Amino acid sequence: MSGPLIELDRVSRTYTTPAGTITAVDDVSLSLGESETICLVGESGCGKTTTGRMLAGLLRPSRGRLLFEGADVWEKKGNDLARFRRAVQLVHQDPYASLNPTRTVAQTLAPPLAKHKKAHGRAARAAMISLLERVGLTPPADFLLKYPHQLSGGQRQRVSIARALTVDPRVIVADEAVSMVDVSIRISLLDLLHNLATEFHVTTVLITHDLAVARYFARKGRIAVMYLGRVVELAETEPLVSDPAHPYSAALIAAIPEADPTITRTKKRVSLRGAEVPSLLNLPPGCAFHPRCPLAEPGLCDVVIPTLDDLPGGRSVACHVALRERQPAAELLGVAH
Amino acid sequence: MTAAVTAIDRRDVTRLPGPLASVVEFLRMMSRKPVGLIGLIGVVFFLFLAYVAPFLVPLQDQVDVTSIYAKPSFLHPLGTDFQGRDVVNQIVYGGGDIITTAILAALFSTLIAITFGSIAATLGGRIDSLILAITDVALTIPQLILLIVIAAIFRPTSFFALAVILALLQWPALLRQIRAQVLSLKERDFVEAARSLDLGLLHIIFREMLPNMRSYIVIHFIIAMTLAIYAQAAIMFLGLVPLSGRNWAIMLYFAYNQGALFFKDSFFYLMGPIMAIALFQLSLVWLASGLEDVFNPRLRS
Amino acid sequence: MTVPVLSVRELSIDYRTRRGPVHAVRNVTFDLDQGETLAIIGESGSGKTTLAVGLIRLSPRSARVTSGEIRYDDGKRTFDVLSLEAERLRRFRWADCAMVFQAALSAFNPVITIWEQFLDTGRAHGMSDKHKVHDRTRELLDLVHLDPTRVLRAYPHELSGGMRQRVLIAMALLLDPRIVILDEPTTALDILTQRAIIDLLRDLRAKLGFATIFISHDLSIAAELADRMLTMYAGRVVERASVDDLFYRPRHPYSVGLMRAVPRVSGALGSVVSIPGSPPDLIRLPRGCSYYPRCPFHVDQCLEEDPPLLAVDTPDHEAACIRWQAVAAALGSDAEAPVAEKLA
Repeated sequence: MSGPLIELDRVSRTYTTPAGTITAVDDVSLSLGESETICLVGESGCGKTTTGRMLAGLLRPSRGRLLFEGADVWEKKGNDLARFRRAVQLVHQDPYASLNPTRTVAQTLAPPLAKHKKAHGRAARAAMISLLERVGLTPPADFLLKYPHQLSGGQRQRVSIARALTVDPRVIVADEAVSMVDVSIRISLLDLLHNLATEFHVTTVLITHDLAVARYFARKGRIAVMYLGRVVELAETEPLVSDPAHPYSAALIAAIPEADPTITRTKKRVSLRGAEVPSLLNLPPGCAFHPRCPLAEPGLCDVVIPTLDDLPGGRSVACHVALRERQPAAELLGVAH
Repeated sequence: MTAAVTAIDRRDVTRLPGPLASVVEFLRMMSRKPVGLIGLIGVVFFLFLAYVAPFLVPLQDQVDVTSIYAKPSFLHPLGTDFQGRDVVNQIVYGGGDIITTAILAALFSTLIAITFGSIAATLGGRIDSLILAITDVALTIPQLILLIVIAAIFRPTSFFALAVILALLQWPALLRQIRAQVLSLKERDFVEAARSLDLGLLHIIFREMLPNMRSYIVIHFIIAMTLAIYAQAAIMFLGLVPLSGRNWAIMLYFAYNQGALFFKDSFFYLMGPIMAIALFQLSLVWLASGLEDVFNPRLRS
Repeated sequence: MTVPVLSVRELSIDYRTRRGPVHAVRNVTFDLDQGETLAIIGESGSGKTTLAVGLIRLSPRSARVTSGEIRYDDGKRTFDVLSLEAERLRRFRWADCAMVFQAALSAFNPVITIWEQFLDTGRAHGMSDKHKVHDRTRELLDLVHLDPTRVLRAYPHELSGGMRQRVLIAMALLLDPRIVILDEPTTALDILTQRAIIDLLRDLRAKLGFATIFISHDLSIAAELADRMLTMYAGRVVERASVDDLFYRPRHPYSVGLMRAVPRVSGALGSVVSIPGSPPDLIRLPRGCSYYPRCPFHVDQCLEEDPPLLAVDTPDHEAACIRWQAVAAALGSDAEAPVAEKLA
């Protein structure tokens, strides 16, 4: 099919509170094709979860549009809207809250199968078994009668994914779906999500604060780095991870503690000019990162908001300096691999 | 915090046929808390007494002036009343009306509370404010006074009507609870997932949220029964309700008015219904206490 | 040869539950030397948190130490922590050994200011002079790079996660302990905040010289700060080694599995793969090695008995596995390269 499957077009989300206006997401555009894997990465408060929820149609943008198959989602009505709702599913972070504790696995999977696939009784059971197999819960029959409290965190997440799959979604947004799961089984869950994209053509978006998880999950896809509500860098994973174009991405990657003593104790750091993250109530003028940025140029970075533009090599970055020098910030800071 | 799922327990109760499995599971849970089990036994006993026993024991309606307020004896284990009728017999026949009315009242109040509590919480806005305002008014009026006034005005002529009146006084408390629960459940991830899966409002309320409120509902139901029984005892004792019959509350009325207080031998005529009511109430309360555990799915195997 | 500051021998802790006793910690033995940093790595159900709180005897009522001893040396004498009585135990906690909990809001009393928390802590452990507590607190807050004036006035919810973690670290150092135990110090913190806390801990350790025990599921914090490491599985210590040995030359299949299951940002991805299966039920432990069902190296003999810690081919390195040589052979080289690469 031509054109992107799902798109955020200059989307913003603001909240008015007694303390002032919070801009959780500011002018974000993201375009995703079929079978794509992409990660939204950033620290807390960067707006990645809000962006993910807007992508899933669970939150209405204050400005901008959400487009699915070219059409504005929030203009849709009736059947059209219902079709969109089913096409984009969210997998939640907390395996202990994402399943109804009073319902068995079978009782959780049955209603969407009944309503949307008109499957009841034996047909429904067969469908459930095949879904549970697909998400790696074997032997499937053993899991049907279990309550959530009888399952481990990883198993619950798999059931959540199975539930999302009951409606044959085109897009799955996984919001920190592996953060609350044991370290040793994260990879298998990420593999499952990755498989959905490659084998079943489900566009999969993973929201995470863990760059190592992002690198693994999106190894054949892209990563979008967010800071204070804006996308500061959007690129294919390997180039971004080895040679980040934005100074914030460079600082993040240089700061990550790694599970390898030699690497982590000898990593070159990027020193930032300040440790405090500005409040969303009071965004700095111009580039939101400029108060902490080692490359910031007064008169430019504190005045004009940088837009996401292309650098040579198929990557986009929102940084005046990097764009002007036509070089990734990592190289300018001397931390490129 | 880890739940290790190894091989499925061979003695897993879920392998028994559905209804039987639930009953076994239920009894197993209840036996953990002795109080609950005693309550269950008590309630079952009184239900049997009220509904089944009348078919086994013939009604003794004959007035016998020679044995007014007779002492307890083999023939009359609790003595006789002011017209020479057997007290035990009256206790057997006296439960049905009271308990039925209590069940009906509890049922109506629960239904009102669930319906309007869910509506208030899911729709929000003005409707929510309106329902809350009405609830608050209902909550602040002293219940017994209101009951007496309503009973005096409307003079209910059937137990059904009485049940309706009693229900109208009890829904506020549960409504607030239901509303609070629905408000918090609304935000839960699994409810959001049900919305994304386009499962419909009715499914969300009845299949996703209500099962999480089972404990509140059932326990409220039981407590509502106890309140309905107290209310009935009160207004019938005060002679406000022109209902005939020989239920426990009316026995109290007659006992008091016919001077049972002043005779040594009529002690059981007075105490009989009091004890019946009190023991039934106690059983209900203990049952409710035991049920709290049963409704927590985490405490199952 | 100095005496280790902490010596744990055959420590076992059970929890009482309805279904039976949960053997959360089983026969744990290790030493902590003066000024050394030990990382105890494990996942949910490994027993690491039970062990950590057990070391300072802060376990809940349902926990019971069923065997073992914890010997602490304060520079002058050695005594068994498990036999300490109330008053002496209270002084042990915090003056000799302090604990830094995860910086969730629940680690704080939400209705009193930070200064009042410091004061309470000081008073609870024998510092009666308010001014002394105040001076010491300011000194410590400076040390952890916080502005004392601003922080002392604040309530816990007014501080960010990173600031709260620093406050907890400062509080732990109030009485200048010889040992500091940190439970998941960087979990739930942002990357840049994690980095700051790790650097801070390194800094403090150099300045003040205390011994440290980290409890975490996060291998990277061990890689950053640890001298030696323990991996725990199903309540037991399954490997004990220097940090380089454990990362590059692990000898227990679980350690290998763990190293292989963690993706990295720098360097090649290698063959990252999850460990199949789940940890065992700690109430009904199977006979023999508890890692058997998930282990790619298992043989029938593994089911006979729970393997003891055996010395392996590098010095000061033990693994609870009878097949450690097979593990070594599978890894191939002894180079300082990550396991995922070696097994790719």
